[in-house]
Amino acid sequence: MNENELLVARERLAARQTELLNALLSNGPVPAGFDEQRLNVERRALLSKRRGIVRMLGPAVADELGDRFRPLFDAYAVEHPRRAGSRAREDAASFAEWCRASGELSAERKARWKFWQSN
Amino acid sequence: MVGIKDLGVGIGWRSEIDLTVERLPGVDFVEVVAENLHIGHLPESVTLLLERGVPVLPHAVSLSLGGADPVDLHRVEHLGAVAEAVGAPMVSDHVCFVRAGGLDSGHLMPVPRTKDALDVLVANVKLAQANLPVPLALENVAALLEWPDGELSEGQFLAELVERTDCWLLVDVANLYANARNIGTDPERFLDEIPLERLAYVHVAGGEQHGDIYHDTHAHAVLPEVLEVLDELCSRVAPPGVLLERDDNYPSDTEIATELAAIRAVVDKHRG
Amino acid sequence: MATPTEARDTRVSPEQVGYLAGGPQRAAETALARLLDAGLVRVSRNGVVSAVHETDLGVTTAVETGILVNLRQPVRFEPVVRKAGGSAEMRALYQQLRAQRLMRTPRPRLGAWWVFLAIGVVLALAALLQPWTLLGAIGFLAFAYWSYGAKPLTKAGRAVLEAVDADDRVLTVAVEGFRGRIRNQAVGDLFGLPQSVVKTLPRKKKPRRGKGRGAASSAGAGCGAGGGCGSSGCGSSSSSSCGGGGSSCGGGGGGSN
Repeated sequence: MNENELLVARERLAARQTELLNALLSNGPVPAGFDEQRLNVERRALLSKRRGIVRMLGPAVADELGDRFRPLFDAYAVEHPRRAGSRAREDAASFAEWCRASGELSAERKARWKFWQSN
Repeated sequence: MVGIKDLGVGIGWRSEIDLTVERLPGVDFVEVVAENLHIGHLPESVTLLLERGVPVLPHAVSLSLGGADPVDLHRVEHLGAVAEAVGAPMVSDHVCFVRAGGLDSGHLMPVPRTKDALDVLVANVKLAQANLPVPLALENVAALLEWPDGELSEGQFLAELVERTDCWLLVDVANLYANARNIGTDPERFLDEIPLERLAYVHVAGGEQHGDIYHDTHAHAVLPEVLEVLDELCSRVAPPGVLLERDDNYPSDTEIATELAAIRAVVDKHRG
Repeated sequence: MATPTEARDTRVSPEQVGYLAGGPQRAAETALARLLDAGLVRVSRNGVVSAVHETDLGVTTAVETGILVNLRQPVRFEPVVRKAGGSAEMRALYQQLRAQRLMRTPRPRLGAWWVFLAIGVVLALAALLQPWTLLGAIGFLAFAYWSYGAKPLTKAGRAVLEAVDADDRVLTVAVEGFRGRIRNQAVGDLFGLPQSVVKTLPRKKKPRRGKGRGAASSAGAGCGAGGGCGSSGCGSSSSSSCGGGGSSCGGGGGGSN
């Protein structure tokens, strides 16, 4: 197959994959032909995996938020789908920052203090 | 192929269970997640296993070879460097995409089984192969959803991939079971369709049924049904190796040893 | 490997032996050793302690429960011990030991205690001639007794410690600590713990030679707060069997693998 055909195939595939990730990660419209229920299952699975990683990387934040951690993280995640090339630690830091900005988490100084105390 | 024959039974090396992996009886080989390793700073435990002569195979999760984006050669290079650092006979990743349109799904997403997707995958795999020092094996993933317009079955899709790239196959029997439960793939048909002579090794993992969905969590016990799929595979071919993947909620050493023994029993049954 | 046994005195648990031998930190080490021995937690090479999944059955003490509750997320080795050492459960353990009259509130010794003793004796002798000096003799002798100080361990506590036969690896930790050695083997090795992990714990305090008892009682003085006790070490119990380099405190019953 020649380069041009491959380029066209890449473009078509890129459009479909992007459409799917938009639907799954930032509540974009359901792409044609997909089972909406299954899409929701996948969406929850991806969200839960990402939430688990952020909880693991920032247990102090999760502990401080307690029961609010899950709803807050889910709201944050839809607003901030992970960018290609970003790292999980950046995701955890950005979530903590987002919580502080919205006043859900106490200021950084206290968080640091707690960090030193617990470690 | 030299070095990949008779790997035996192995387990995914994870830093949380490094001492467990070192002292477990019957660990013939291990797999490391390539992205978690830094060249020049191999974990002490991995070095120790290498000194003991235990083969260490790098397994990648981020190449996104089924993705429309051009292959990230830095990632391929890192995988190759890890392979050289541990003297691995082979490396692996998945038939999936991870990134698209500037977003990262954080997981292994299935690709549509269309001609377009296959063409792109083949081109990506060839480029990766050209930049790797050792052969590449590709693994079937667990899917929770099905692309609407698949032109090929999963087995046919992988057979085509092998035909066109000469890659090896890493068959995950837990993923086969998951796909059977969740999207109705027939594991036997899959095994009939793939070129078993290109089987590098096999993955086994645990999961959990949640309502009508089976989740391939790698954080629960291996189901007997998954071992049945392994049994089916072993009835067709003697796999060069079988590896248990456990990534979270690590059970006791005894429990892990029991799972490894159960896997070995299935493999040995067919070796007679 | 022998299963963890109670100390010979069945009222005393390995954790309590640990407390008697080395204060709350040692008791915390002992609790962690018991959890490791029972396969309820695991430690990785880089020193991360994590709870083994779905095995919360088998916890036998409050300190152990406290450790496991804090291990919902993996924590490093040294903070696990430090936190358990300062926990409410540990203070309860100290109160138990006091209630059993194995420990008491320690008093530091005054350097000049013997001066009061001498005056007391002189006055007592003087009482043979002048009976009224007896009152003063009693006062000085009482003050000499008080200023002599009190070690955190009572006589009964020291007896318990001396009777301990460290014949399993949990009791060995209680008596020697993870950083200790027994029969030329590092105690950490009994649990397959790398030295890089064990050495994150504070060094086992050796009794200061020369200052003798005075040093021991002042080291124990912090114990009164019931938590801040700086390890008194088995030397401070003035147990004669503690002397030798590799021998275990209290009889040196062999450690086991």
